[in-house]
Amino acid sequence: MTGARLRRGCILTGGSLLLMAYVLAPIFWLVSSSMQTEKEIVSIPPHWIPDHPTLYNFIAIFRTGLGLAGPSGAGADPTSGGFIPSVAGNLLPAMANSLIVAFCVVALNLLIGVPAAYAMAKIRFRGRTLTLYVVLATRVIPDIALVVPFFLVIRKLGLLDHLFSLIVTYLAVTVPFTVFVLTSFFEQIPDDLDRAARVDGCSRTQVLTRVFLPLARPALVAVSLFAFLASWNEFLLALMFTQTAASQTLPIIVAGITSDFTVSFSFLNAAGVLAVLPPVLLAVIFERHIVSGLTAGAVKG
Amino acid sequence: MTRIRFQSVTKRYGGAAPAVTDLNLEIREREFLVLLGPSGCGKSTTLNMLAGLEEITEGELWFDDQLMNHVPAHRRDVAMVFQSYALYPHKTVFENIAFGLRMRRVPDAVVRARVQDAAARLEITGLLDRHPAQLSGGQRQRVALGRAMVREAAVFLMDEPLSNLDASLRIAMRAQIRHLHAEIPATFIYVTHDQAEALTLADRIVVMRDGQIQQIGTPDDIYERPANLFVASFLGSPAINLIEGIVTTEGGVPAFRRGDLIIPLPADVRPTGPGIVLGLRAEDVAPPQPGAPALQGVIDTAMPAGSDQFLGLAAEGAMIFVRVGKDIRAREGEAVSFALNPARLHFFDRTTGLSLRRREDL
Repeated sequence: MTGARLRRGCILTGGSLLLMAYVLAPIFWLVSSSMQTEKEIVSIPPHWIPDHPTLYNFIAIFRTGLGLAGPSGAGADPTSGGFIPSVAGNLLPAMANSLIVAFCVVALNLLIGVPAAYAMAKIRFRGRTLTLYVVLATRVIPDIALVVPFFLVIRKLGLLDHLFSLIVTYLAVTVPFTVFVLTSFFEQIPDDLDRAARVDGCSRTQVLTRVFLPLARPALVAVSLFAFLASWNEFLLALMFTQTAASQTLPIIVAGITSDFTVSFSFLNAAGVLAVLPPVLLAVIFERHIVSGLTAGAVKG
Repeated sequence: MTRIRFQSVTKRYGGAAPAVTDLNLEIREREFLVLLGPSGCGKSTTLNMLAGLEEITEGELWFDDQLMNHVPAHRRDVAMVFQSYALYPHKTVFENIAFGLRMRRVPDAVVRARVQDAAARLEITGLLDRHPAQLSGGQRQRVALGRAMVREAAVFLMDEPLSNLDASLRIAMRAQIRHLHAEIPATFIYVTHDQAEALTLADRIVVMRDGQIQQIGTPDDIYERPANLFVASFLGSPAINLIEGIVTTEGGVPAFRRGDLIIPLPADVRPTGPGIVLGLRAEDVAPPQPGAPALQGVIDTAMPAGSDQFLGLAAEGAMIFVRVGKDIRAREGEAVSFALNPARLHFFDRTTGLSLRRREDL
């Protein structure tokens, strides 16, 4: 009896550890190798822990990003390490671009999605079901099908190579999801609560701000994170609409590193670490809300 | 203090049959009016239109001399208690009760005073710092009442406020609601499907069915002089016995007849067709008396019920339930006879279902 339970526990723990290693190993390697020299990174067997950890790559990113000269030894022979790609200086501006786009997308998502979802969930209007279906239907169209039409519209609007082009198209992709999740969350909030608030003296807008939003915090966190991640990671549309460092986002610049005349893996990984940081930070900050938010649409809130 | 008037009000959802049809109703100041009916009869819809939570499709709603059709809920001087209580889960009991006042920008000192006063009356002072999730059903009910009380609104609406409580609590809360009505100068409109609740609480009862008013009257009116078969069968526990018969003439006067049961119709009952239905409430039987119509039958079941007993009587091919005192010795299988007082009986037309008793007020 106890033996069986003990064995079960061992298997569960072992399995969990294995899964954790599988998930975390690439990230660990990313962080570890970003602090290695080019020579160490290609050594066999690989060094999981760097012998001589160095912040050389990060210093290079920040110095060139701020318009200063690269660290000493920059541009040296790639085989001996210390090679800094030509796009290094674009990394920080690209990160700023990514952040601007992501935060605008999140803010506009909430601004548009919250009232829309409230209306869908609690106001009976003609064509309500149809509207919800249409909103959902836009979500099942793959992005690749939208690229060309988007491109034509963006060009007509004169927004090519402008951050607006990204904000507008990312909204088109993320808002339906936001509306869908928030609608199903608001539907869980009893109608009587809505009615009670209105009898108590709330206009529709006040019902939303005074009663629904405080209750919907987990769902708001969840949709904000989804919108943030979607725009932070987005590659295809950004590749089409941006041409210069003025509007290029982090994924474009990072991908560009591999197309230089030689590739510095340690530098590439340092850029990768920077790209991972903001989402990880957000996840840590809102960790408490995420789990309840993820199930928010599914079960009772 | 508000007089409320529904004038030919109809509510339709989409293209389906109307939820409420051509409602005409005048509610007096400070009255306790109960809307009574089975689920789906339109009573809650009526209440929601009153509160401004549902739009009125046709007709007019007046508060005194103000047309209310397009006044939104938050601009009406109306407080409401919901069946589900609908407390705000993220607010403390105090803030739940205070919310309506805060939305109306009542000064903080007044808010405090009124909330404390209401809490004291409802005996929930100790709960003010808790959240709704930490309360029992009865406590939530009191908070919901308190939230409506502090508003000091002219109109006080209640939508089945007691139906989620257990039986003993329900009786206690009925008394509390009666006191509340005596204490605050508001017009009360109360929706329920529970006829006992309606009979205890109401000044007047409106019986509704399929979106239409069946009868309006005092509890006595409704119980003693039901306007039709539906009202007769909806009120009373156990349900009224309905016995179908035909109209004959007995000694020159029209009479109800089914088998050996012959009852001369009282003077104010005028048959309108050959088919007639007799309504006999369980308590309206007496020991046999010479000269009175007699109901004869065989006791099928005898069910003692504490203070008295119920008898299931097989008579004239029907099963009739009567309530009699314990002094009557009743054995199953025994033949018995009871006297009926024609003045206490109800007669309806079998086809239309309408009462055959002429009403002075019609």
